[in-house]
Amino acid sequence: MASVQYSGVRESKPGRLNDLGTTGKQVEENYKKGCLKRADRSFAQGLQCQQINSMAALMSLEDSVFISHSPQGCVGCSIMAVDMYRVGQAHRGIKNIKNPRLIVTNLDQKSVVFGGETKLREAVKRAVERYNPKLAFIYASCASGIIGDDIDAISASLQSEYPDTLIVPIHCEGFKSKICASGFDAAFISINKYILKKQKVEKEKGLVNLFAPTTVSYADQKEMERMLSLLGVKVNYIPFYSSLEKIKKIPAAEASTSICKVFADEFMHTLWEDYQIPYSHTVMPIGIRNTDKWYRGIAKVLGKEEEVEKIIEKEHERIEPLVKKLRERLQGTRVFICGGTGRSFAAAALIDDFGMELVGLETPTYDDDAQVDIEYLNGIHKDFVVDIANMQPFEQVNLVNKLRPDAFIGVPEWAAKLGIPTTHVLDGKRPTMGYDGLLFLGNKIAAQLQNPGFNKKLAAHVKLPYKDSWYKEDAFKYITEGGN
Amino acid sequence: MSDIMENPKGGCVLAGINSVLGALDRVCPVYHSGPGCCMQTTAADQGQSGHKNSCFVASVSIPSSNMLEKEVVFGGTDKLRTTIQGAIDIIDADAYFVLTGCTAGIIGDDIVSVTNEFSSKGIPVYPIDTPGFAGDSTLGYEIVWNNFIDQVIEEGVEKDDKLVNIFGIIPYHDTFWSGTLEEIDRVLSKLGLKVNTFFTKHQGIETIKKCSAAALNIIINPWLFKGPSEKFEQKFGVPSLRIPGLFVGATDTTVFVRKVAEALGLDKALVDKVIAEEEDYVYNYLAQAIGVVSWKRFAVVADANNAVGFTRYLANDYSFTPVLVIVSEPIFRPQDKERIIERINDLEYATPPKVLFLTDQYEINKAIREEKEEITLLVGSSNEREIALEKDIQFITGAFPVNERLIFNRTYAGYKGSLTFTEDIYDNL
Repeated sequence: MASVQYSGVRESKPGRLNDLGTTGKQVEENYKKGCLKRADRSFAQGLQCQQINSMAALMSLEDSVFISHSPQGCVGCSIMAVDMYRVGQAHRGIKNIKNPRLIVTNLDQKSVVFGGETKLREAVKRAVERYNPKLAFIYASCASGIIGDDIDAISASLQSEYPDTLIVPIHCEGFKSKICASGFDAAFISINKYILKKQKVEKEKGLVNLFAPTTVSYADQKEMERMLSLLGVKVNYIPFYSSLEKIKKIPAAEASTSICKVFADEFMHTLWEDYQIPYSHTVMPIGIRNTDKWYRGIAKVLGKEEEVEKIIEKEHERIEPLVKKLRERLQGTRVFICGGTGRSFAAAALIDDFGMELVGLETPTYDDDAQVDIEYLNGIHKDFVVDIANMQPFEQVNLVNKLRPDAFIGVPEWAAKLGIPTTHVLDGKRPTMGYDGLLFLGNKIAAQLQNPGFNKKLAAHVKLPYKDSWYKEDAFKYITEGGN
Repeated sequence: MSDIMENPKGGCVLAGINSVLGALDRVCPVYHSGPGCCMQTTAADQGQSGHKNSCFVASVSIPSSNMLEKEVVFGGTDKLRTTIQGAIDIIDADAYFVLTGCTAGIIGDDIVSVTNEFSSKGIPVYPIDTPGFAGDSTLGYEIVWNNFIDQVIEEGVEKDDKLVNIFGIIPYHDTFWSGTLEEIDRVLSKLGLKVNTFFTKHQGIETIKKCSAAALNIIINPWLFKGPSEKFEQKFGVPSLRIPGLFVGATDTTVFVRKVAEALGLDKALVDKVIAEEEDYVYNYLAQAIGVVSWKRFAVVADANNAVGFTRYLANDYSFTPVLVIVSEPIFRPQDKERIIERINDLEYATPPKVLFLTDQYEINKAIREEKEEITLLVGSSNEREIALEKDIQFITGAFPVNERLIFNRTYAGYKGSLTFTEDIYDNL
């Protein structure tokens, strides 16, 4: 039976949930029994939309123009990718640092009434005249989707007009998904459809696709490449800082793996279906356990299980004494973790390396992958709170205030104002991954938690916007049954 | 009417509205919009304003109905109602403003009926029914004030002849807004005035409500706030004084002080004393570093307000040579363009520079790249660093967007700000 074409909307996968307040033990059991139902929140705070992820995923590609078919506000978050791109160039020793070529069609009242096709055509025309790019990506938005602009048809027509530029429309309309990682999938679906086109290319021995989102630092890229080179592998680092040529090489690879759990996971499966490229989908390589697991995963696909064990042994010899020292400093620290799907579970595994105790976990989605992680975490930690939420700081501060952990790992903004020591495993400019990254990260965590003066003094002066009564309420009171 | 734009500076109208509300103390925006609008609009202005954002609620802390397919098809007012109720229940704000994203605007959700359900019970919930696609951040600034005039500011407040309102400096969309307002406040306070900056000193909705008591609205901007100032005068009888461009340095700041003093009939002896003190303060420093900063032929890329201020200071007070000034925000009215050109060209000794109005990054880069006159200093936004590197021109980030430095209370405006500006243009090359 032919598999059903994946839409790119992560909620479309059966069993995947977005909104839930529970505990580690409960969620494991209820998921097993199939008792978890899709829910919603009757009150919520803003989310990250999938368009943000679609844009961020590709904005460091060479010879490309990025066209947002939207009003001007929809390119607000691109600044994060722009900043990463600029800093990434500096880290790579580039002197004349460039801006990415980002064009917004600036849909306005007139476009809402008459359609935005003219503006989109003009934007593509300018892109070609100005830069003669190899690639022009066209991003849909809520507005373009609702007014019914057919970006596929317009792209097809523009493609015949501008044969030297590959025109790639991406369906990342914000209203389609609550899960921002859907935007990664939308981008990869279009890469496959418009660039790779299921064409078979000659295989290149030893070539491995390494999929990495923009939040991975150059230091981390080098560490991942170092580790893979120890297995005799040549890395095709995609799509951060890559190019059309490197994208076209994707089908030539012997295997694929990804740095992030929700980045290119669906795409790697598609590559298996369409080009028979085997892949490893494990965890984010943060911490000893996860780095080992990630490393063994790709080694197994390459048939290098023996080699990898030898390397891992050597790496452990090198770093375990240092990790032991960190463990002495961090043992028994009670931790609350909030992060994206990949980082949150990676952080949860990391704290076990250091003998820390998990008291709360906030992560955007729950599914088969999460169940595997939760089973593992339940084996180590006592029962901990689980909040399936995309940020939702109001729930987070309620939980953190009740649990009063010794440390918070994640976006520090809110926990800091409660005076909780904070640290993070996300740093797109410095190391966090692999064996080398672990030491930098471990030292950072230990040092930050040892010296929480800033947060304590901040909390004495600054109040979060919530009413005192909110902290006494059930953190999950706004979660309702029956979601989108 | 919005133009196609490469690397735009700022966001949609919602971004501008959010910047203003975010800079007010204890005011909570509630978005009736798609799932990404809170984050996108905060990142568009606040996120590019030297890395600081509203401490109260910003980005993913803003209550939002997160309209998905279901709401697009069936309407989202039920979701909005529970979102507003939740915001009132948990967020300790003095006022809530319901904003509409493109989705709500296109499908035509009636937000006013929903907000009425709350305001009729005496809960301070106000609608601002202007969807994102209606314009850009600068329009957002005017939209908020139009709504304040219509819905918030009280009539019949007792007049205070020492109270002034400051307009024209958009929080966050002007990176130095905070420091600039503090400098204006400092100088005017020395003249015995009470100053509504609205966005510093924890001023909030109560200050807005009572601002009709002011003796004068001071608009510090060559073009912004035309509509709202007329509306303000009509409804509350407060006249406006337009200062057609930000003042940087002793010369223009003194002109500003004199104009305000004249409009309010302030005591001349006090005004002269304050001016003498302030000018002495500036020149006492400038005199300690004569010839330290090498002579420059400069270009400026900035919003109209800052472009006027930077150009006039560098040319009139610091004897640099102006070459090219690019006003990089959309200006639509021809008379506004004329006023801006007049301010930039009316220099004391220097030959007037070329003035261009360009918002598109490609065109901005092209104009600088193809400029035949030599440029040795470029004051611009983070977006202009690329062309400065390409042409090997000394570069300082002085205009929005700024994302390579952290900015709290720094400003280049006023008497004191001009010293900071001068410090920053120092080079040791």
